[in-house]
Amino acid sequence: MSEAADLERRYRRWLRWYPRSFRDAHESEILAVLLAGAREGRRRPEPMECLDLVRAALSLRLRPRIPRSNRSARAAIGLMYLSAAAELATAIVVLATIDDIRSAIAARDPAYTAAQWRAELSGALHPLAVGAVVAAGLCLWLAWAGGRGHRWARAAFVLFTGLNVAHLIHGLIQGSAVYAEADLTAGLVLCLVQLAAVVLLLHAGPAGLG
Amino acid sequence: MTNRAMQEATFLILTALAGGSRHGYGIITDVEQISSGRVRLRAGTLYAALDRLRLDGLVSVDREEIVDNRLRRYYRLTPEGSRQLAAEAARVRSHATTALARLGLAPGAAP
Repeated sequence: MSEAADLERRYRRWLRWYPRSFRDAHESEILAVLLAGAREGRRRPEPMECLDLVRAALSLRLRPRIPRSNRSARAAIGLMYLSAAAELATAIVVLATIDDIRSAIAARDPAYTAAQWRAELSGALHPLAVGAVVAAGLCLWLAWAGGRGHRWARAAFVLFTGLNVAHLIHGLIQGSAVYAEADLTAGLVLCLVQLAAVVLLLHAGPAGLG
Repeated sequence: MTNRAMQEATFLILTALAGGSRHGYGIITDVEQISSGRVRLRAGTLYAALDRLRLDGLVSVDREEIVDNRLRRYYRLTPEGSRQLAAEAARVRSHATTALARLGLAPGAAP
């Protein structure tokens, strides 16, 4: 194999990091630029070139594809990512305040038994914390998909926010949301971030995200 | 549109295209020339920037050619791209003028 062909084959391999649609549209011209800039006789791309291609490819895969002029949509996606962090924070707060929750329940019900507490832990609190971690992953996915222009992601996030708000209201009515002040604060912050994202998504309009 | 300062690579790419439509390698060599050899864009950086600039409506495809069996795509500034480049150039000039004046290095100022 000639040096040029060898170099081209290796460049093509690095270009596989790019999204398929981008490669279909630009691979030929990027290859031409890479080969035009390569020194005579080279068989391998320079390490910095490879790093640059990987960095650019990841940026293309991860960055929202929303014009800067659409500030509402961009801010909404940012808040969707922030809500993933808020979900994780909620999980941590729930786990960190388990003793406070137990104390609050025991203070309300002096007859509360250890068996009841174990049931509460396995039936409600641990699933809540695990659910928050799963929800964080879901928020990340919806934010990424929303940023790529998928409208279903926006609809799913609105639905998810509705469920979260309903869960918080249910907890307030039942009294379970106020066992620990930190849990209530985390839940309120999470819902406010998600509601703000929903408002911005709706403000961006049907064409806002794709 | 945003009031944030433009990244240097973006500014230089738009400046290269202000001289007329150019293909990818043409932009790289022009940017190197404009920056007196200080900035040499790599292909990955250039095409990520061009993709973003097209998305923002500052750059568009002018024409395509096939050279040596390879696609050569020429890019050009859009009117919005020209407007934003002009605004950024004015902002940079204003800051540079102020800095030079305060350093006593402005044209006509005593050394």
